[in-house]
Amino acid sequence: MDVSDVITRGKVTIREQPLLAIAVLATALLALDLLARLAGIEVPLAGGRTFGGELSMGRFSGLVWNGIIVGLIFGLAGIGLSMTYSILNFANFSHGDLVTTGAFTGWGAALLVAGWGIGDIGHLLLVRPGSGASPNEIGASIVQAPLSILIGVIIAALATVVVAVIIDRIVYKPMRDRGGIPLLIASIGAALALRYILQFVYGGRNRGVTSTQDVNTEIAGFSVNMHELTLVIVAISLMLAMHFMLQRTKLGKAMRAMADNKDLALVTGIPTERVVTATWVLGGALAGVAGYLYVLERGTIEFNIGWFLLLFIFAAVILGGIGSIYGAIAGGFVIGFVHEVSLIWIPSDFNAAAAFLIMILVLLYRPQGIFGGVTTA
Amino acid sequence: MSTDEPESASDATLEESLKAETDPLAAVPDESILQVRNLDAGYGDLQILTDVMLDVGEGEYVTIVGPNGAGKSTLMKSVFGLTAHMGGTIEFQREPIQELPPEEIIHKGISYVPQNENIFGTLTVRENLEMGAYILDEVPEAQIEAVFERFPVLRERQDQKAGTMSGGQRQMVAMGRALMLDPDLLLLDEPSAGLAPDLVQEMFDRIDDINADGTAVLMVEQNAKTALRRCDRGYVLAQGENSYTDTGDRLLADDEVRQQFLGG
Repeated sequence: MDVSDVITRGKVTIREQPLLAIAVLATALLALDLLARLAGIEVPLAGGRTFGGELSMGRFSGLVWNGIIVGLIFGLAGIGLSMTYSILNFANFSHGDLVTTGAFTGWGAALLVAGWGIGDIGHLLLVRPGSGASPNEIGASIVQAPLSILIGVIIAALATVVVAVIIDRIVYKPMRDRGGIPLLIASIGAALALRYILQFVYGGRNRGVTSTQDVNTEIAGFSVNMHELTLVIVAISLMLAMHFMLQRTKLGKAMRAMADNKDLALVTGIPTERVVTATWVLGGALAGVAGYLYVLERGTIEFNIGWFLLLFIFAAVILGGIGSIYGAIAGGFVIGFVHEVSLIWIPSDFNAAAAFLIMILVLLYRPQGIFGGVTTA
Repeated sequence: MSTDEPESASDATLEESLKAETDPLAAVPDESILQVRNLDAGYGDLQILTDVMLDVGEGEYVTIVGPNGAGKSTLMKSVFGLTAHMGGTIEFQREPIQELPPEEIIHKGISYVPQNENIFGTLTVRENLEMGAYILDEVPEAQIEAVFERFPVLRERQDQKAGTMSGGQRQMVAMGRALMLDPDLLLLDEPSAGLAPDLVQEMFDRIDDINADGTAVLMVEQNAKTALRRCDRGYVLAQGENSYTDTGDRLLADDEVRQQFLGG
């Protein structure tokens, strides 16, 4: 190809898709700036701003690692949201509060096991609603009480499944055929009800949960936070398990079939109500575990953590292509990565905006999302 | 209702004596596996079918023809439990099925191929066939093999996503899925819809083969002339009521049928 050809094509791109051209230019500038920062080059610009600056490799890799952690949380929670969207045809706004449900129930169980005999049972089961034994006294960490952490994962999944299925039976099942909008509105109601029930039961205090003693260790020369490592292992295992379930098992294939074409699933003899229940069971379990792992990583719990996560989960799912679990995972990584790595350039009050900006930019050029059109439940 | 019965019965005898040659049930086989009697059905509160009678004999090939909006597809969906039942009976192998949902009707030995969106496009060809046998505990490998024998191209493309295939191949996937339970009665809603003209005859050949192997076929078809030429017997449906039934050839020869429903 000729140089003039390249220039002509570039001109056409700028004229026809100015936003794309700006995005490409901005990405190139940020990449250069990042390289300059990593190399320690600083070029003063006007108004005290600089091009390049100081950024240690350690801080950079730390941000990327955080991006992966956050992305896994978004992706894991997003799988359930994406499945309920494709199989039940509505955007479930109570999904964030299912995440919170898993966090509280799971940590209640984990603290109870880890702190057995140390604190008052009510204090442990309600995840430290008031004063009492401190997190370090209870010792709920993967290092001090690995079994309690694993029991917590299981209880988080089971309890969230129970709550999700009950909400489906009471609220969504009677209005199954009413279409997406009434169900969406109903789910906002369910979200508020669930959130304030959780606040009523567990209290509104933001409190620490995990013990942080000896959680940071060195593995092969790298400093590793064992809680983050646990999160990564559990989340990736569950994602792989979901993949195999959907691709290999009869139930998984039926779920994909129903996501693909509900009417045909019905005339094919697939028991659609049972598939719907399975969707809530799997989606609820993953949401609950995502909430539990989120608290494992951040160390504190509050009744509205899931609600604040919900927008990011939606962003991840929409970015990835709603209806696809692979899209939810990919979208989670993109949103999580941008959310964390953008901290290099902008203060932490604005990084959420950066994540949503990327979502909008991707959707402008790929409205169906990254994995859109290849719905695989 | 009971007070009306003697009257309508005498009406029937009157009609019978008036046009003995076009007795609506003249060509019906003695042993029918599907018996639809005085069926009223529709969607929601909207009644579309009125007093419809229909029979399909064992291994018989029956076509329903009629103008657009006559209720042909509705009749077929009613047999499969997809409409609101408002009156009359549907018996399959002497059991009433008019109140059953589709997933139970499948268990009785009826399979249905809808007109549109009749495949799972994001599933592979093989997975589509597996879904056809969902109600069985095990994937029936022998039956998958039988479908591959019937449609060899599906064997070659078994791992391909069904949505990426051509119209004719999709129709094969749809029929293959419906044949997975080796049904006694196969319901086909416009199997030639959307197919290129040269594929239409091929599709009808396939249906002949399926029927020749002992599966009774009840089909709705736009391509009325071809369908009537091939089938054992046809029904003419108009405005939600059936007017005649006779062998396909005789319906084709009938001037009134030709002028009204087959475009001369």
